[in-house]
Amino acid sequence: MSSAGWSASDALAHADRLYNLGRRLTGNDADAEELVQETYVRALAGARTFGGGNLKAWLFKILRNTFVDLRRRIRAVPAGDNLADVGGDGDAALLRDDLELDRLRRVVGEEIEAALASLSEEARTIVLLDVEGFSETEVADVLGCPVGTVKSRLSRARLALRQKLKDYAR
Amino acid sequence: MTRETDDPIEAELDRALARLPARAAPPALRRRLEALVAPASPPASTADAPGRRERPRRTLFTASFVSACAAAALVLVATRVTRPVPSGAAPSELVTEAVNDHIRVVSSTHPVDIESGGIHQVKPWFTGRLDFAPRVAFSGDADFPLVGGSIGYFRDRKAAVFVFHRRLHTITLLVLPAAGLGWPEKDLTRVGRLSVAEASSRGFSVLLWREGDLGYALVSDVNVRDLETLAGRINGD
Repeated sequence: MSSAGWSASDALAHADRLYNLGRRLTGNDADAEELVQETYVRALAGARTFGGGNLKAWLFKILRNTFVDLRRRIRAVPAGDNLADVGGDGDAALLRDDLELDRLRRVVGEEIEAALASLSEEARTIVLLDVEGFSETEVADVLGCPVGTVKSRLSRARLALRQKLKDYAR
Repeated sequence: MTRETDDPIEAELDRALARLPARAAPPALRRRLEALVAPASPPASTADAPGRRERPRRTLFTASFVSACAAAALVLVATRVTRPVPSGAAPSELVTEAVNDHIRVVSSTHPVDIESGGIHQVKPWFTGRLDFAPRVAFSGDADFPLVGGSIGYFRDRKAAVFVFHRRLHTITLLVLPAAGLGWPEKDLTRVGRLSVAEASSRGFSVLLWREGDLGYALVSDVNVRDLETLAGRINGD
Protein backbone atom coordinates (compact mmCIF):
# COMPACT_ATOMS: atom_id res chain seq x y z
CA MET A 1 0.00 0.00 0.00
CA SER A 2 1.40 3.39 -0.90
CA SER A 3 0.37 6.59 0.75
CA ALA A 4 -1.05 7.77 -2.54
CA GLY A 5 -3.05 4.75 -3.53
CA TRP A 6 -4.35 1.34 -2.74
CA SER A 7 -3.54 -2.19 -3.55
CA ALA A 8 -5.17 -4.73 -5.81
CA SER A 9 -6.38 -6.53 -2.73
CA ASP A 10 -8.03 -3.33 -1.52
CA ALA A 11 -9.99 -3.09 -4.75
CA LEU A 12 -10.84 -6.79 -4.84
CA ALA A 13 -12.11 -6.62 -1.26
CA HIS A 14 -15.18 -4.83 -2.59
CA ALA A 15 -15.91 -7.29 -5.40
CA ASP A 16 -18.60 -9.16 -3.49
CA ARG A 17 -20.41 -5.98 -2.48
CA LEU A 18 -20.20 -4.61 -6.00
CA TYR A 19 -21.50 -7.86 -7.40
CA ASN A 20 -24.30 -7.85 -4.87
CA LEU A 21 -25.46 -4.41 -6.01
CA GLY A 22 -24.83 -5.25 -9.66
CA ARG A 23 -26.92 -8.39 -9.36
CA ARG A 24 -29.83 -6.46 -7.91
CA LEU A 25 -29.56 -3.68 -10.46
CA THR A 26 -29.39 -5.91 -13.51
CA GLY A 27 -31.60 -8.71 -12.27
CA ASN A 28 -29.44 -11.56 -13.54
CA ASP A 29 -26.05 -13.16 -12.94
CA ALA A 30 -24.53 -12.74 -16.40
CA ASP A 31 -25.20 -9.03 -16.66
CA ALA A 32 -24.07 -8.49 -13.09
CA GLU A 33 -20.75 -10.17 -13.86
CA GLU A 34 -20.27 -8.03 -16.93
CA LEU A 35 -21.22 -4.90 -15.03
CA VAL A 36 -18.71 -5.59 -12.26
CA GLN A 37 -15.97 -6.49 -14.71
CA GLU A 38 -16.60 -3.32 -16.70
CA THR A 39 -16.52 -1.38 -13.44
CA TYR A 40 -13.01 -2.61 -12.73
CA VAL A 41 -11.92 -1.90 -16.29
CA ARG A 42 -13.14 1.67 -15.94
CA ALA A 43 -11.52 1.95 -12.53
CA LEU A 44 -8.22 0.89 -14.08
CA ALA A 45 -8.59 3.38 -16.88
CA GLY A 46 -9.72 6.23 -14.64
CA ALA A 47 -7.45 5.73 -11.67
CA ARG A 48 -6.31 9.33 -11.80
CA THR A 49 -9.81 10.48 -10.91
CA PHE A 50 -9.53 8.75 -7.54
CA GLY A 51 -8.57 11.51 -5.19
CA GLY A 52 -7.94 9.30 -2.20
CA GLY A 53 -10.43 8.74 0.56
CA ASN A 54 -13.25 6.26 0.27
CA LEU A 55 -12.28 3.61 -2.27
CA LYS A 56 -15.50 1.67 -1.74
CA ALA A 57 -17.68 4.70 -2.50
CA TRP A 58 -15.56 5.50 -5.56
CA LEU A 59 -15.97 1.98 -6.94
CA PHE A 60 -19.69 2.01 -6.23
CA LYS A 61 -19.95 5.33 -8.05
CA ILE A 62 -18.21 3.83 -11.07
CA LEU A 63 -20.51 0.83 -10.99
CA ARG A 64 -23.55 3.03 -10.76
CA ASN A 65 -22.37 5.25 -13.64
CA THR A 66 -21.44 2.23 -15.70
CA PHE A 67 -24.89 0.80 -15.18
CA VAL A 68 -26.55 4.06 -16.17
CA ASP A 69 -24.35 4.38 -19.25
CA LEU A 70 -24.89 0.84 -20.37
CA ARG A 71 -28.35 -0.12 -19.21
CA ARG A 72 -29.77 0.28 -22.68
CA ARG A 73 -27.66 -2.69 -23.65
CA ILE A 74 -28.54 -4.70 -20.57
CA ARG A 75 -31.14 -7.31 -21.25
CA ALA A 76 -34.40 -7.26 -19.41
CA VAL A 77 -33.71 -4.75 -16.71
CA PRO A 78 -36.81 -4.75 -14.55
CA ALA A 79 -38.39 -1.40 -15.21
CA GLY A 80 -40.13 -1.31 -11.88
CA ASP A 81 -42.33 1.50 -10.80
CA ASN A 82 -41.57 5.14 -11.09
CA LEU A 83 -40.37 6.55 -7.81
CA ALA A 84 -42.41 9.65 -8.48
CA ASP A 85 -45.56 7.56 -8.40
CA VAL A 86 -45.10 6.63 -4.80
CA GLY A 87 -47.70 8.16 -2.57
CA GLY A 88 -47.04 10.73 0.09
CA ASP A 89 -47.76 11.01 3.79
CA GLY A 90 -51.32 9.84 3.41
CA ASP A 91 -50.13 6.44 2.22
CA ALA A 92 -47.56 6.33 4.96
CA ALA A 93 -50.21 6.91 7.53
CA LEU A 94 -52.27 4.07 6.15
CA LEU A 95 -49.32 1.74 6.53
CA ARG A 96 -48.59 2.59 10.14
CA ASP A 97 -50.44 -0.19 11.75
CA ASP A 98 -49.76 -3.31 13.68
CA LEU A 99 -50.61 -5.47 10.71
CA GLU A 100 -47.75 -4.01 8.70
CA LEU A 101 -45.38 -4.42 11.59
CA ASP A 102 -46.36 -8.04 11.91
CA ARG A 103 -45.89 -8.63 8.19
CA LEU A 104 -42.48 -7.04 8.20
CA ARG A 105 -41.40 -9.30 11.02
CA ARG A 106 -42.44 -12.39 9.06
CA VAL A 107 -41.14 -11.41 5.64
CA VAL A 108 -38.14 -13.48 4.51
CA GLY A 109 -35.07 -12.47 2.56
CA GLU A 110 -36.27 -13.77 -0.79
CA GLU A 111 -39.51 -11.83 -0.44
CA ILE A 112 -37.65 -8.63 0.33
CA GLU A 113 -35.46 -9.27 -2.65
CA ALA A 114 -38.49 -9.72 -4.88
CA ALA A 115 -40.07 -6.55 -3.53
CA LEU A 116 -36.86 -4.64 -4.13
CA ALA A 117 -36.64 -5.95 -7.68
CA SER A 118 -40.09 -4.53 -8.41
CA LEU A 119 -39.02 -1.02 -7.42
CA SER A 120 -37.69 1.48 -9.89
CA GLU A 121 -33.95 1.32 -10.52
CA GLU A 122 -33.54 4.65 -8.76
CA ALA A 123 -35.44 3.55 -5.67
CA ARG A 124 -33.71 0.18 -5.58
CA THR A 125 -30.28 1.76 -5.84
CA ILE A 126 -30.78 4.23 -3.03
CA VAL A 127 -32.22 1.62 -0.70
CA LEU A 128 -29.32 -0.73 -1.41
CA LEU A 129 -26.72 1.98 -0.92
CA ASP A 130 -28.37 2.75 2.39
CA VAL A 131 -28.22 -0.93 3.32
CA GLU A 132 -24.53 -0.90 2.38
CA GLY A 133 -23.99 1.58 5.17
CA PHE A 134 -23.04 4.60 3.08
CA SER A 135 -23.61 8.00 4.65
CA GLU A 136 -26.01 10.42 3.03
CA THR A 137 -23.04 12.40 1.77
CA GLU A 138 -21.50 9.29 0.22
CA VAL A 139 -24.80 8.29 -1.39
CA ALA A 140 -25.10 11.81 -2.78
CA ASP A 141 -21.64 11.45 -4.27
CA VAL A 142 -22.39 8.04 -5.78
CA LEU A 143 -25.66 9.24 -7.29
CA GLY A 144 -24.43 12.72 -8.19
CA CYS A 145 -27.19 14.59 -6.43
CA PRO A 146 -27.53 16.89 -3.38
CA VAL A 147 -27.73 15.41 0.10
CA GLY A 148 -31.23 16.82 0.52
CA THR A 149 -32.33 14.92 -2.56
CA VAL A 150 -30.90 11.73 -1.09
CA LYS A 151 -33.00 12.16 2.02
CA SER A 152 -36.22 12.71 0.15
CA ARG A 153 -35.55 9.96 -2.39
CA LEU A 154 -34.63 7.47 0.30
CA SER A 155 -37.74 8.29 2.26
CA ARG A 156 -39.92 7.75 -0.80
CA ALA A 157 -38.06 4.62 -1.81
CA ARG A 158 -38.50 3.04 1.63
CA LEU A 159 -42.17 3.92 1.56
CA ALA A 160 -42.46 2.31 -1.87
CA LEU A 161 -40.75 -0.79 -0.53
CA ARG A 162 -43.15 -0.97 2.40
CA GLN A 163 -46.04 -0.77 -0.02
CA LYS A 164 -44.58 -3.60 -2.09
CA LEU A 165 -44.04 -5.68 1.01
CA LYS A 166 -47.72 -5.47 1.80
CA ASP A 167 -48.13 -8.17 -0.84
CA TYR A 168 -45.81 -10.54 0.98
CA ALA A 169 -45.92 -12.45 4.22
CA ARG A 170 -49.67 -12.59 4.27
CA MET B 1 -26.39 5.47 6.72
CA THR B 2 -27.20 5.49 10.39
CA ARG B 3 -30.79 6.24 11.12
CA GLU B 4 -32.21 6.96 14.49
CA THR B 5 -35.90 6.49 14.44
CA ASP B 6 -38.65 5.95 16.95
CA ASP B 7 -40.86 4.57 14.23
CA PRO B 8 -41.13 0.82 14.93
CA ILE B 9 -42.10 0.11 11.32
CA GLU B 10 -39.02 1.85 9.94
CA ALA B 11 -36.90 -0.04 12.44
CA GLU B 12 -38.54 -3.31 11.42
CA LEU B 13 -37.94 -2.48 7.77
CA ASP B 14 -34.23 -2.07 8.57
CA ARG B 15 -34.23 -5.48 10.22
CA ALA B 16 -36.05 -6.98 7.23
CA LEU B 17 -33.51 -5.48 4.82
CA ALA B 18 -30.73 -6.97 6.91
CA ARG B 19 -32.20 -10.37 5.99
CA LEU B 20 -31.51 -9.80 2.28
CA PRO B 21 -29.48 -12.74 1.00
CA ALA B 22 -25.89 -11.75 0.22
CA ARG B 23 -24.60 -12.64 -3.22
CA ALA B 24 -20.88 -13.13 -3.49
CA ALA B 25 -18.98 -12.62 -6.72
CA PRO B 26 -18.78 -15.98 -8.54
CA PRO B 27 -15.32 -17.58 -8.50
CA ALA B 28 -14.89 -17.20 -12.26
CA LEU B 29 -15.59 -13.48 -12.04
CA ARG B 30 -13.23 -13.11 -9.13
CA ARG B 31 -10.48 -14.82 -11.11
CA ARG B 32 -11.04 -12.46 -14.02
CA LEU B 33 -10.94 -9.46 -11.71
CA GLU B 34 -7.76 -10.70 -10.10
CA ALA B 35 -6.14 -11.02 -13.50
CA LEU B 36 -7.37 -7.58 -14.42
CA VAL B 37 -5.99 -5.75 -11.42
CA ALA B 38 -2.87 -7.83 -10.87
CA PRO B 39 0.28 -5.75 -11.22
CA ALA B 40 1.77 -6.19 -14.67
CA SER B 41 4.68 -8.56 -14.71
CA PRO B 42 7.88 -7.29 -16.30
CA PRO B 43 8.89 -9.00 -19.55
CA ALA B 44 10.93 -12.14 -18.92
CA SER B 45 13.86 -10.84 -20.92
CA THR B 46 14.34 -7.91 -18.57
CA ALA B 47 13.17 -9.57 -15.40
CA ASP B 48 15.82 -12.20 -15.77
CA ALA B 49 18.59 -9.76 -16.54
CA PRO B 50 21.67 -10.14 -14.35
CA GLY B 51 21.94 -7.70 -11.50
CA ARG B 52 18.31 -6.80 -11.70
CA ARG B 53 16.83 -6.27 -8.26
CA GLU B 54 13.44 -7.69 -7.48
CA ARG B 55 10.80 -5.04 -7.55
CA PRO B 56 8.71 -4.55 -4.44
CA ARG B 57 5.08 -5.55 -4.84
CA ARG B 58 3.50 -2.55 -6.45
CA THR B 59 0.10 -1.24 -5.54
CA LEU B 60 -2.78 -1.24 -7.94
CA PHE B 61 -2.66 2.53 -8.13
CA THR B 62 1.05 2.91 -8.44
CA ALA B 63 1.54 -0.04 -10.74
CA SER B 64 -1.27 -1.30 -12.90
CA PHE B 65 -3.35 1.84 -12.70
CA VAL B 66 -0.53 4.24 -13.25
CA SER B 67 1.06 2.18 -15.95
CA ALA B 68 -2.29 1.76 -17.66
CA CYS B 69 -3.04 5.43 -17.41
CA ALA B 70 0.44 6.47 -18.37
CA ALA B 71 0.17 4.25 -21.37
CA ALA B 72 -3.26 5.62 -22.14
CA ALA B 73 -1.94 9.15 -21.77
CA LEU B 74 0.90 8.34 -24.10
CA VAL B 75 -1.52 7.11 -26.68
CA LEU B 76 -3.66 10.18 -26.20
CA VAL B 77 -0.68 12.40 -26.77
CA ALA B 78 0.27 10.30 -29.72
CA THR B 79 -3.00 11.06 -31.41
CA ARG B 80 -1.58 14.51 -31.99
CA VAL B 81 2.15 13.89 -32.21
CA THR B 82 3.69 11.05 -34.16
CA ARG B 83 6.04 9.15 -31.95
CA PRO B 84 9.43 8.38 -33.46
CA VAL B 85 9.39 4.83 -32.14
CA PRO B 86 11.51 2.38 -34.09
CA SER B 87 9.72 -0.38 -35.92
CA GLY B 88 10.46 -4.06 -35.61
CA ALA B 89 8.61 -4.42 -32.34
CA ALA B 90 8.45 -7.87 -30.85
CA PRO B 91 5.06 -9.64 -30.65
CA SER B 92 4.84 -9.01 -26.89
CA GLU B 93 5.30 -5.30 -27.53
CA LEU B 94 2.49 -5.39 -30.08
CA VAL B 95 0.25 -6.94 -27.44
CA THR B 96 1.18 -4.23 -24.94
CA GLU B 97 0.58 -1.53 -27.51
CA ALA B 98 -2.79 -2.99 -28.49
CA VAL B 99 -3.91 -3.15 -24.85
CA ASN B 100 -2.79 0.44 -24.28
CA ASP B 101 -4.82 1.56 -27.26
CA HIS B 102 -7.82 -0.36 -25.98
CA ILE B 103 -7.51 1.31 -22.58
CA ARG B 104 -7.47 4.68 -24.31
CA VAL B 105 -10.73 3.77 -26.04
CA VAL B 106 -12.36 2.52 -22.84
CA SER B 107 -11.30 5.53 -20.80
CA SER B 108 -12.16 8.13 -23.42
CA THR B 109 -15.36 10.11 -23.09
CA HIS B 110 -15.43 10.21 -26.90
CA PRO B 111 -14.05 6.84 -27.97
CA VAL B 112 -15.09 7.30 -31.59
CA ASP B 113 -14.87 10.25 -33.97
CA ILE B 114 -17.40 8.84 -36.38
CA GLU B 115 -20.41 7.11 -34.92
CA SER B 116 -21.63 4.12 -36.73
CA GLY B 117 -24.41 4.13 -39.21
CA GLY B 118 -22.89 0.91 -40.46
CA ILE B 119 -19.52 0.06 -41.91
CA HIS B 120 -20.41 1.86 -45.14
CA GLN B 121 -20.45 5.10 -43.23
CA VAL B 122 -17.44 4.37 -41.05
CA LYS B 123 -15.02 3.11 -43.69
CA PRO B 124 -15.36 6.09 -46.06
CA TRP B 125 -14.69 8.39 -43.11
CA PHE B 126 -11.12 7.12 -43.04
CA THR B 127 -10.52 8.21 -46.64
CA GLY B 128 -8.07 11.08 -46.63
CA ARG B 129 -7.23 10.48 -43.01
CA LEU B 130 -5.15 7.38 -43.60
CA ASP B 131 -2.69 6.42 -46.31
CA PHE B 132 -4.18 2.95 -46.51
CA ALA B 133 -7.67 1.52 -46.79
CA PRO B 134 -8.67 -0.66 -43.83
CA ARG B 135 -10.22 -3.89 -45.00
CA VAL B 136 -13.07 -4.82 -42.66
CA ALA B 137 -15.79 -7.00 -44.08
CA PHE B 138 -18.15 -6.73 -41.14
CA SER B 139 -20.82 -4.12 -40.55
CA GLY B 140 -21.64 -5.16 -37.01
CA ASP B 141 -24.66 -7.18 -35.97
CA ALA B 142 -26.73 -7.89 -32.88
CA ASP B 143 -23.90 -9.89 -31.32
CA PHE B 144 -21.21 -7.32 -32.06
CA PRO B 145 -22.72 -3.92 -32.82
CA LEU B 146 -20.33 -1.49 -34.46
CA VAL B 147 -20.09 1.69 -32.39
CA GLY B 148 -17.91 3.70 -34.73
CA GLY B 149 -14.35 4.54 -35.66
CA SER B 150 -11.49 6.91 -35.05
CA ILE B 151 -7.85 7.46 -35.94
CA GLY B 152 -5.27 6.12 -33.52
CA TYR B 153 -1.58 5.55 -33.45
CA PHE B 154 0.06 2.18 -33.14
CA ARG B 155 3.71 2.67 -32.33
CA ASP B 156 5.06 4.73 -35.24
CA ARG B 157 2.09 4.67 -37.57
CA LYS B 158 -1.52 5.63 -37.92
CA ALA B 159 -4.16 3.02 -37.33
CA ALA B 160 -7.84 2.75 -38.11
CA VAL B 161 -9.66 2.15 -34.85
CA PHE B 162 -13.02 0.39 -34.95
CA VAL B 163 -15.03 0.02 -31.77
CA PHE B 164 -17.50 -2.81 -31.31
CA HIS B 165 -19.55 -3.88 -28.35
CA ARG B 166 -20.20 -7.32 -27.01
CA ARG B 167 -23.05 -6.95 -24.54
CA LEU B 168 -21.56 -4.61 -21.94
CA HIS B 169 -17.99 -4.97 -23.16
CA THR B 170 -16.04 -2.74 -25.49
CA ILE B 171 -13.93 -4.37 -28.20
CA THR B 172 -11.26 -2.40 -30.03
CA LEU B 173 -10.10 -3.36 -33.51
CA LEU B 174 -6.93 -1.74 -34.79
CA VAL B 175 -6.07 -1.99 -38.48
CA LEU B 176 -2.67 -0.72 -39.56
CA PRO B 177 0.09 -1.22 -42.13
CA ALA B 178 1.84 -4.41 -41.10
CA ALA B 179 5.30 -3.81 -42.53
CA GLY B 180 8.20 -3.53 -40.13
CA LEU B 181 6.45 -4.89 -37.07
CA GLY B 182 7.19 -8.24 -35.51
CA TRP B 183 3.95 -10.04 -36.15
CA PRO B 184 3.78 -13.43 -34.43
CA GLU B 185 4.58 -16.36 -36.68
CA LYS B 186 4.57 -19.22 -34.19
CA ASP B 187 1.88 -20.88 -32.10
CA LEU B 188 -0.88 -19.48 -34.27
CA THR B 189 -4.49 -20.55 -33.91
CA ARG B 190 -6.67 -21.25 -36.89
CA VAL B 191 -9.83 -19.12 -36.92
CA GLY B 192 -11.70 -19.75 -40.15
CA ARG B 193 -9.30 -18.69 -42.90
CA LEU B 194 -7.17 -16.71 -40.47
CA SER B 195 -4.12 -17.69 -38.48
CA VAL B 196 -4.17 -15.58 -35.34
CA ALA B 197 -1.90 -15.20 -32.36
CA GLU B 198 -3.76 -15.22 -29.09
CA ALA B 199 -2.38 -13.52 -26.00
CA SER B 200 -3.57 -11.99 -22.78
CA SER B 201 -2.22 -9.01 -20.93
CA ARG B 202 -3.46 -7.33 -17.78
CA GLY B 203 -6.75 -9.19 -17.99
CA PHE B 204 -7.42 -8.35 -21.63
CA SER B 205 -7.54 -10.86 -24.46
CA VAL B 206 -5.66 -9.91 -27.60
CA LEU B 207 -5.80 -11.42 -31.09
CA LEU B 208 -3.16 -10.42 -33.62
CA TRP B 209 -3.06 -11.41 -37.24
CA ARG B 210 -1.69 -10.25 -40.54
CA GLU B 211 -3.63 -10.25 -43.76
CA GLY B 212 -1.68 -9.10 -46.78
CA ASP B 213 -0.11 -5.74 -46.14
CA LEU B 214 -2.33 -4.98 -43.16
CA GLY B 215 -2.06 -6.03 -39.55
CA TYR B 216 -4.99 -6.45 -37.20
CA ALA B 217 -5.23 -6.30 -33.41
CA LEU B 218 -8.44 -7.14 -31.60
CA VAL B 219 -8.56 -6.38 -27.87
CA SER B 220 -11.17 -6.69 -25.14
CA ASP B 221 -11.95 -8.16 -21.76
CA VAL B 222 -14.43 -10.56 -23.35
CA ASN B 223 -13.39 -14.19 -23.57
CA VAL B 224 -11.12 -15.22 -26.37
CA ARG B 225 -13.82 -17.31 -28.08
CA ASP B 226 -15.91 -14.18 -28.61
CA LEU B 227 -12.89 -12.44 -30.10
CA GLU B 228 -12.31 -15.39 -32.42
CA THR B 229 -15.92 -15.18 -33.56
CA LEU B 230 -15.58 -11.46 -34.25
CA ALA B 231 -12.24 -11.95 -36.01
CA GLY B 232 -13.88 -14.42 -38.34
CA ARG B 233 -16.68 -12.00 -39.15
CA ILE B 234 -14.22 -9.16 -39.72
CA ASN B 235 -12.45 -11.39 -42.22
CA GLY B 236 -15.74 -12.21 -43.94
CA ASP B 237 -15.83 -15.86 -42.88
